[in-house]
Amino acid sequence: MRVILKTRPREKPRIPIEAEEIIPQNFLRKNDMKVFEGNKERTLEDLFFVTIEGPAVSPDQVEVVLTGNTGMIKRVGEYMNAGRIIIEGDIGMHCGNFMSAGEIIIRGNADAWLGREMRGGRILCEGNASHYCAAGYRGEKRGMRGGIMEVKGNAGDFTAEYLSGGDVIIHGNCGDLPGVEMRGGTLVIGGECARPCGNMTGGTCMVFGKAQRVLPTFRSNGSQDMDYAGKRYRMNLFRGDVANRGKGTLMIRA
Amino acid sequence: MKIEDVVCPFCGCLCDDLVVQVEGNRVVNVENGCTLANEKFMGDHRLETPIRRSGKKWERISYDEAIAETAGILLDADRPLLYGWSGTYGEAQTIGVHLAEVLGAVIDNTSTVCHGPSIMAIQEVGHPGCTLGQIKNRADVVIYWAANPIEAHPRHMSRYTTFADGFFVKNAFRERKVIVVDVRETDSSQIADEFVKVNPGGDYAILSALRAIVRGKRDIIPPNVEGVSREQLFRVAEICMAAKFGAIFFGVGLTMASGKYKNIRNAIELTEELNRHTKFTISPMRGHWNVYGSNEVFTWITGYPYAVDFARGIAFYNPGETTSVDILRRGECDACLVVASDPGAHFPRACAEHLARIPTIQIDPHVNATTHLSQIQIPVAVTGIDAEGTAYRMDGVPLRTRKLFQGSHPDDLEVLEKIYAIVREAKG
Repeated sequence: MRVILKTRPREKPRIPIEAEEIIPQNFLRKNDMKVFEGNKERTLEDLFFVTIEGPAVSPDQVEVVLTGNTGMIKRVGEYMNAGRIIIEGDIGMHCGNFMSAGEIIIRGNADAWLGREMRGGRILCEGNASHYCAAGYRGEKRGMRGGIMEVKGNAGDFTAEYLSGGDVIIHGNCGDLPGVEMRGGTLVIGGECARPCGNMTGGTCMVFGKAQRVLPTFRSNGSQDMDYAGKRYRMNLFRGDVANRGKGTLMIRA
Repeated sequence: MKIEDVVCPFCGCLCDDLVVQVEGNRVVNVENGCTLANEKFMGDHRLETPIRRSGKKWERISYDEAIAETAGILLDADRPLLYGWSGTYGEAQTIGVHLAEVLGAVIDNTSTVCHGPSIMAIQEVGHPGCTLGQIKNRADVVIYWAANPIEAHPRHMSRYTTFADGFFVKNAFRERKVIVVDVRETDSSQIADEFVKVNPGGDYAILSALRAIVRGKRDIIPPNVEGVSREQLFRVAEICMAAKFGAIFFGVGLTMASGKYKNIRNAIELTEELNRHTKFTISPMRGHWNVYGSNEVFTWITGYPYAVDFARGIAFYNPGETTSVDILRRGECDACLVVASDPGAHFPRACAEHLARIPTIQIDPHVNATTHLSQIQIPVAVTGIDAEGTAYRMDGVPLRTRKLFQGSHPDDLEVLEKIYAIVREAKG
């Protein structure tokens, strides 16, 4: 089954839409899906032109395609557990929150909290991701716990905050404090970043660009060769953050 | 008439030892107050009646008309924002939260531009804090980190720290050690026993280094950390560990520097580390008068201290998404009610521009920068001068403010209750 959701023109296009019901499994069994536009509850048809092509008997046979002005739509793919969502443009905050399986492909940029606390599945963002990509909710002690997050462009500040499991691959630059409070999993940064892995207690972070303002509380631990994007790099190894228990591994290109 | 033990309605210190002289409905003299307090009590920039923008002019309107129009604007909005609240008292803040819930609005207070990051850090790792009285009577080491109390909280040092003798600190000026950490020299750094000058944005690294030193990992510290020598860091750590009772006060220089709440979290974790050796506490230097009270009121009603979004009918909290600066910058909200605050003076330009584009209503006694962005302004009594109510000091101690004279304006509570009644009736 292929579901195409094309946004309708809106009188107030900057008002955010909260659409956690847009996940593949809901299109198998629901026909009264609700979304919120600001503080007003709407039907899916109020805000989207909906086209459904072909049948499906299970959620993993459902592909949802979002087109149009999708940059203010939040929570698409929240708690998704099968199937595929393709977003042809930008997407709003919290895309792929808590997802456990399936795939989300974003052709444009993603707003903050992309893949927040995801447990499994795969998110591919072909543009840039904003702050808190693959991070945790406020006050939560664990961020992303499983799955794969791949961003072809840059990511903002606090990327992979509280990362506890899974792989986060940022091909471009990261902002400030990527991997802060990290406790597990793997974070790969292809470009530059600042102050990586503050207060980390576990996991592995690799920085293949320049790391600025590296914190003084990482202990040098030799060097080794690593492969990334078809090339071989010499990496300096650090253990830290010794301001905390210091059992994480930080690798920075020599 | 002289009135004693008056609570000051300006900063988070809430000094409660002022003596105010009143003639008629005017304050003519203030004793014990700082410059800021004197200006607050004796300033005369009050707006007399409600005003509404009409083309390029302002027209005077009645309170009933202003209140009805405000309620209508908020009812029509799809994403209203209710912002401010730190300059008013707890009872009015309570009505504000109920109004937000009925409207499905976002309600936020001035923590969003001051100590919101401190609260986020406290939510992550807790708060080893205490009252200012404890610090006055016990602290022999006081650290001001990215704060300049002499200018921002002028009586803080004389009432609670450097110049205030305490029960266990008989000669405070000689017995207390004061450490100031800042990116530049200030009036406060001039009287410090130890001034630690940090590169801008370097606080997080300094705090991490101090944590490592206190944990016994001195060998890892490089010769210079963000402009501070290793020797000075060792010295500061030794002063802290040798203290009988230490107190850290931090300001918005830490909360609003890069890293934001992670700076505060690191400072709290340093405090926890120091508590393995001695007694240490940490406290934010809250600036806006009753901003602590707004956090209290919001929390006891909604579970969250600021940036609460009721759009879905339940409280949702996510600073960065539901904070007013972010909502305004993204152009999300379509109406705004500003109460007891001045975002026009404090918010980024993009936010002020959006406030000017949408219907903005201000409830405030004074003409200020936000007036120029507003459609309607409703003047009210000033809490602590011609209105009474409950406010919270920066250390979380509630104090009852007094009405010094009967003025001609209604107070915040009266105006908000009338708006709430209209909205409640319309919503059914």
